[in-house]
This record gives sequence, C-alpha cells and structure tokens, in this order.
Amino acid sequence: MNKAILIKKIINEIHQSSIEKLNIMEVCGTHTQAISRSGIRSLLPPNLVLLSGPGCPVCVTDESLIDAAVEILRNDIILATFGDMVRIRGSLESISDQLHKRKNIFVLYSPLDCLELARDNPDKQVVFFAAGFETTAPGIALTVKLAYEENLHNLSFLTSLKLMPPVLHKILREKQKKIHGLICPGHVAAVMGAGYFRFVAGEYGINAAVCGFEPLDIASGLLFLTKKISSGYESAFANLYESCVSEEGNETAREIMMQVFDIADGNWRGIGEIKKSELFLNENYCSFDALKKFNIRPDKFVSDQRCNCSDVILGNIMPYECRLFGKACTPQKPAGPCMISSEGSCSAYYRYWEAGL
Amino acid sequence: MCLAVPGIIVSIDSAWAQVDVIGVLNTVNIQLIDEPAVGDCVLIHAGCAIQKISSDNFSFLSSILSEFLIGAEKNE
Repeated sequence: MNKAILIKKIINEIHQSSIEKLNIMEVCGTHTQAISRSGIRSLLPPNLVLLSGPGCPVCVTDESLIDAAVEILRNDIILATFGDMVRIRGSLESISDQLHKRKNIFVLYSPLDCLELARDNPDKQVVFFAAGFETTAPGIALTVKLAYEENLHNLSFLTSLKLMPPVLHKILREKQKKIHGLICPGHVAAVMGAGYFRFVAGEYGINAAVCGFEPLDIASGLLFLTKKISSGYESAFANLYESCVSEEGNETAREIMMQVFDIADGNWRGIGEIKKSELFLNENYCSFDALKKFNIRPDKFVSDQRCNCSDVILGNIMPYECRLFGKACTPQKPAGPCMISSEGSCSAYYRYWEAGL
Repeated sequence: MCLAVPGIIVSIDSAWAQVDVIGVLNTVNIQLIDEPAVGDCVLIHAGCAIQKISSDNFSFLSSILSEFLIGAEKNE
C-alpha cells in the first residue's frame, strides 16, 4: 500500500480514539524536525499535543562551554566542531563571531576527521568541540582512543556529551506538565538498546515507544501510544524500530564509550545541573581534555531569562508561547539555541510555520 | 544530530570500510561493530558504523533515504 495512504489511515484511526487530552513528548530533536517537516503535527486532533523534549544536543550545551571554546580560540589554534555548534552564543559571543578575527574554525561531519586535521598541522594545537548524546559518544570515544594510540599530542577535546535517562527522570519526576506518552529516540536506542528506555513505563507508568524517523514510523508510534492510553494502559512499552534497534543495542560501541569516559554530574543549558548526566574523559585520557590543556575553568552562567528555551525543551511550554518567538527570535536573528539548531523545536516550528502566525 | 543513514560494506581495509550509501561510496570506520564483513548492511552516524542491520531493513531504509533526498531536491 502507498505510504501516504497508510499514514492517512493511521491518522484517521488516531482521530477516532476516545481521548480527552493527550500530551505526547518526542524526546529527540531529529524526531521534532521530522514531525514538523512531514506536517504530521497539523494532521493530528487538537487534543493530541506533541511536546518537544531535551534531545537537541546543541540546545542543551551549556553557555560556559561555548565561552570556553571562545576563550580557547584566543590562542593560535584550530577549532573543529559540528555544524550547528558554531552559531550558538555563550554568555556574550558565539564561535562564528570569532571568524572575523581570522580564527581557524572547521566544521566537520565526523569526529574522526579531526585526526587528519591534527596530523596535517603538527605545529598547531587542534581542539574538537564535541556535543551529542549516546548516539554520538561512541564515535567521539573512538576518536579519543585513536588519538591516544597515535600519540597525537596536539589534539584535545572539549566535550558536552549528555545522557538521556537522567534528564527524562527529571522531567517525569517533576511533572510540570502531565505527559501521557513518550516517543523515545531511535538512534540512541540503536546504541544503548531498546531496554535503555523501559524505565519510562516501568518506573513512571507512562506508555513509551522507540520509533524511527520516517513519517510512517512516527505516525505508527503515535497510534500505538494513543491506543494504549485510550484503552487505559499505563505502562506499555514497544520497540517499533526493530529494523535498527535491538533490545540490547551495540555492546561494542558502549564498551569503547565507557573505556574512555566516566559519568558525572553535568550542566544542561537553561536547566542546570543534573546528577550523573554527562560523560567526561576518564583519568586515562584526561591529557586530551582541552579544558585542562588550556587551563580553563568554565564559569557558571545564568541564562538569558528573556528566552524560554529551557521551558520549551522540558515540555513546559510550546515554542510559540515564548514571547520572543517570531519577533525578537527568528532563524535569521535567533535569541536562543532552540531557534539556532536545525533540530531545535523553535526552529522547526518557525520554518514549517506551525505556530499559527 | 542523531540521524543515521544505511549503507552496505563494499570493501574493508583494517578499521575502515568503503560503504555504499545509495550509490555514493563513503569511507567509514567499522571499529564500533562486531565482526564487520563485506556485504554487511550497517547504520552510519558521523562517519562510524554504529549498528548492523538486516538486508531487508537496509532496502527499506535506503528507499526512505532516497525518497527523502528526492523530496529535499524538489524543495530547493
């Protein structure tokens, strides 16, 4: 059957479910973007509200680390990072603000590319600024290991590598907004296993599904959650992305990740400190820690209170409920990280015109 | 940033493989997966193969990626 017809049938079935009010959170920024791009949000009944979660790594990278990157760039070094990271502002400036100062800034697709950058520039220090979740962390860990094995002493890493469960525990425990169902991030689960997210159903009695990123995957996930909730289930869990996600995930990738990193308390932009939520280079690899190499202690920074990005990524408000949205904050002139990152929910809402503006 | 794409391993040289992603060859690190072999279908994220997938699922995911790219070209 044609996929568009199948999606239409699924959406029709969701419309027929007997639900009063339903809040479903999609945790992953890639899901947020896919939902907006496909137009699924606008096809859903008005009583089914999709809330964005904290799964955009750029959005949750603390300002203090952007400041640290800017500080490191005062030296004659090469800074490499992922695309969206260059536009995010710290307390004052972004990495892209340094371009006019003729600083060497590279945008890489793969962290492994920074190895070549370090080899090709032996007389320069190269810093890779890495942000991501459990999907990206094994690749970063592998890069650190290879740099160690190759004795690449001119390479170091500034990291903002977050873990999903601690921030989900925070959201589900604090219950600022009642969440009835959760769409769990498919590619985090590809590495960590579908079982990594079973606590959502087991501990909190909230129906959850691991979903892929195609509109049909997302629509199927929404139908599963809607059906379970309307039938009175409180802790159903399903892996609807079995094409890529096994129950146990990728053990080899996890092993490499834990050979290189320790888990400790982490700072999340706009949210604050969350216990045991971040990966840091362990003592075997601490010589690759850029903060130590450049002797920088990130300052704690109080976020710009005008911007409501933190409430958006915790599911407390919709992007268009922020008073800056679409006025003082647009993709051309963003005030907060959710409008800058292509996976940020404010950016997705704005670009696909879902705010009813 | 957590997006991953499907590919099929065409050749292997130690820790690296040439991987065909909808007709385009990419150099991909294969140290994060167990016992990679030529012909294996994999999921690639940020230059690393992060998971093996079945050939049925590979065909399905590749068709989605192709559709997505055709859609993106039309929007440009």
